[in-house]
Amino acid sequence: MFAYTVRRLAQMVVVLFGLTILIFTMLKAMPGDPAKVMAGLGARPETIAAIRLKLGLDEPIPVQYWKFVTGLLNGQLQAMTFHKSVWAVIIERLPATVELGVFALIIALLVSIPAGILSAVYRNSPLDYAVTTIALIGISVPVFWLALMLMLVFGVILKVLPVSGRGDTLWGWSFLTLDGLRHLVIPAVALASVQMALNARLTRASMLEVMRQEYVKSARAKGLREWVVMGRHAFRNAMLPVVTNVGIQVGALFAGAVLTETTTAWPGIGRLMVESIARLDQAVVFGLTLFMGTCFMVSYLVVDLLYAYIDPRITYD
Amino acid sequence: MLRITKVCIVLLGVVLAGWGAFGETSKPSTPGAKVGGTLTIGVSQDFKDMDPRIANSVYDSYVIASVFDRLVELDPYTLEPRPFVAKSWEVLSEDRVRFYLNEGIKFHNGDELTAEDVAFTFNWMANPANNSPNFTELVWLEQAVVVNKYTVDIVTKADYAPWAPGFATESQAIVPMKYVLEVGDAAFNQFPIGSGPYKFVEWRQGDRIILERNENYWLVYPNLDRVVYRVIPELSVMMLELEAGGIDIADNMPAQDVERFRANPKVEVLQVPSLSYFYVFFNMSRPPSSDIRYRKAVYMSVDMDAAVFSIFQNLTGVRAYGCIPPRLWASDVKYLKNNIALQYDPEEAARLIAELKAEGVIPPGYKTTIYCPLDPRRTQLATIIATGLREVGLDADVQPLAWGPYLDLVYRSEADPLAESLDQGILGWSGGPDPHDFIYYMFHSDNAVVGSADNLSFYMNPLVDWLLLKAATTLDQHLREWLYTEAQRIIYGDYVHIPGYHYIETRGVRTSVQGYNIDPLGNQYLCTPFVNVWIDPTR
Repeated sequence: MFAYTVRRLAQMVVVLFGLTILIFTMLKAMPGDPAKVMAGLGARPETIAAIRLKLGLDEPIPVQYWKFVTGLLNGQLQAMTFHKSVWAVIIERLPATVELGVFALIIALLVSIPAGILSAVYRNSPLDYAVTTIALIGISVPVFWLALMLMLVFGVILKVLPVSGRGDTLWGWSFLTLDGLRHLVIPAVALASVQMALNARLTRASMLEVMRQEYVKSARAKGLREWVVMGRHAFRNAMLPVVTNVGIQVGALFAGAVLTETTTAWPGIGRLMVESIARLDQAVVFGLTLFMGTCFMVSYLVVDLLYAYIDPRITYD
Repeated sequence: MLRITKVCIVLLGVVLAGWGAFGETSKPSTPGAKVGGTLTIGVSQDFKDMDPRIANSVYDSYVIASVFDRLVELDPYTLEPRPFVAKSWEVLSEDRVRFYLNEGIKFHNGDELTAEDVAFTFNWMANPANNSPNFTELVWLEQAVVVNKYTVDIVTKADYAPWAPGFATESQAIVPMKYVLEVGDAAFNQFPIGSGPYKFVEWRQGDRIILERNENYWLVYPNLDRVVYRVIPELSVMMLELEAGGIDIADNMPAQDVERFRANPKVEVLQVPSLSYFYVFFNMSRPPSSDIRYRKAVYMSVDMDAAVFSIFQNLTGVRAYGCIPPRLWASDVKYLKNNIALQYDPEEAARLIAELKAEGVIPPGYKTTIYCPLDPRRTQLATIIATGLREVGLDADVQPLAWGPYLDLVYRSEADPLAESLDQGILGWSGGPDPHDFIYYMFHSDNAVVGSADNLSFYMNPLVDWLLLKAATTLDQHLREWLYTEAQRIIYGDYVHIPGYHYIETRGVRTSVQGYNIDPLGNQYLCTPFVNVWIDPTR
């Protein structure tokens, strides 16, 4: 396991290196001059030239690339428009994304897995039809529309939740305050909706598959109670594809939820990415893309390692 | 470059001295006002800079307007400058104006605002080495010189009639020299200290900025405990927030929501014609758009009245006929509308297109592109124009571009391959309270500079150049009006632009907010010599 983990980490370094080249090339190929955007309409050519010089945009492309990579590694890479280091900009926005992602994941798992199990156990019952129908709607409805509807119903009509924004924070976290917690509900539920739907369907399908296996029949034949059969024999084996899916979702959650964050005015890194692209802040886009790529790779690695834990037949050494 | 006669300078002195004498600052009272409460303002874009010397976004200016004071303030009704930090002023010579400051004004850290701070602010911005995006606003400034603790001289490179209103804009807000030098520009930009009615408390990036009352404000006791500026990028969400009471003021309201909120007893829809101008410009540097017949054909192929109505439903925008907004003097709307503007005439447009094709000005199989920024209104206008052109026999398509690439294109950056296909594009302009802020930048040949053009058409007309410079360096209001009127008639008679629309600044305000008016320049002033916003919790 240790050797496998080290090998995977080494692979990650290679992939990240490739990613830096890919992202940098794409950034430089993008039309638009950051200096002009920063200088604004009506700026003199001298001002634009001075900003280009200050940002190092006149330097040879390989030199710019090297400065981006080393700057990101030693924490000195400065954002072009935020007047602080790229890491400082990302870290400032990260708690909002993390807490939104974690809460969305908790909601999704708490709802989807029991729903999927019940749906499988009581298949073709009204409960099963209800779960599969709601799951279908959850997958089909766009997140921004669902968020708007939640805001309209709970924020405007019932007035039980704040419409948007992050609310009060304590030590940078909003879930530590009541106001912040109330602000977290709508974005977290909206973000969780797609995950809920996917996980519920996957859990149901996986449970149905496992419930047909011989060892489940054997367990029943031994006279075990149904909840023991389901909980101890079926559920654990059915979780493998669900864990894979959740692992991928975790990576995506930490990479920011652009639509949810924009719609609900949630100041996370998904919205930061949109703002940075609009401002042509190449340094922040570079840093964010690498950060998001790293999140995905780490979550995939964790999922692979979890396989061995969940299914003892899987070994990596 | 700009010279003015001594007579004009004397006139300037008389006018300014008159303002000074007329408008001695005094603490205005707000009868019946209640003190306290938090005002929450929704803004549609995130904040960038809080240092007024470099901030050039309208959203930043909302906050800056409450944290800092300005040398003079624009009267919101007459758009004329009135005393603010400067209690009076006098012209000493052709190139020197002396400002006398109010004594005892304190910055939020307790330091006194003195002539040194004023001179430091202006000299820093006017120094090209500092690369301030607001440099062009002070391009006429030679130097600001400290005379004594409460007196500062502004020395100009050349005499310049419309300069005084420029002082009033938020980018010329006075910063504390000692504090800025102590903490550095970057730290000051993140946590600014001014002398304004509200103190900076916290900037939660991407989320909100919080201000609180400056208890020791020199001008008046600010009515609000706190002011919160919340970033809400989605307009539909901002409207929900306004309806639910999550915000007290929405800085923007789409046309489709205006009627709904007019029927809402808890919300008031405030509107004021903005000092903005949206237009179609033609590229005068290459055929076919360098040919006036082409420009007229495009103009006549569009039913602009119908286009503007379909975009704004007569609610948040009005048809434009020239670049100077109707609210300003010298706009000359009636003449331009009746004598210059072309009516929708697809037959005549088709005839001109056919003529240009027959002469080879428009090559066989030629397809023109209407370029525009990624903005729904301008994209809609571009689509209407392209549809009209196809109907009169010219193949056309629409190409919306992100802001960065679009600037590259319209500035004619040499590296931009699209510049080779630029016949026309759509852009907007916002200016100050003087016609110069509009017409000079968009049509004087000085501003037809590759890489940073404001004269996007690259229109070069020596007569227009002369008229605009003469107007800029003349103080006689009637003469200036005549000069601008003449210039505008020539420009629009050359069909350099198709005037599109003037935006009507539209804001939704909860009825509990009292004493709030929309600033004609689009800013959010909460406590000035003219307003002191308060909240009535009973409404």
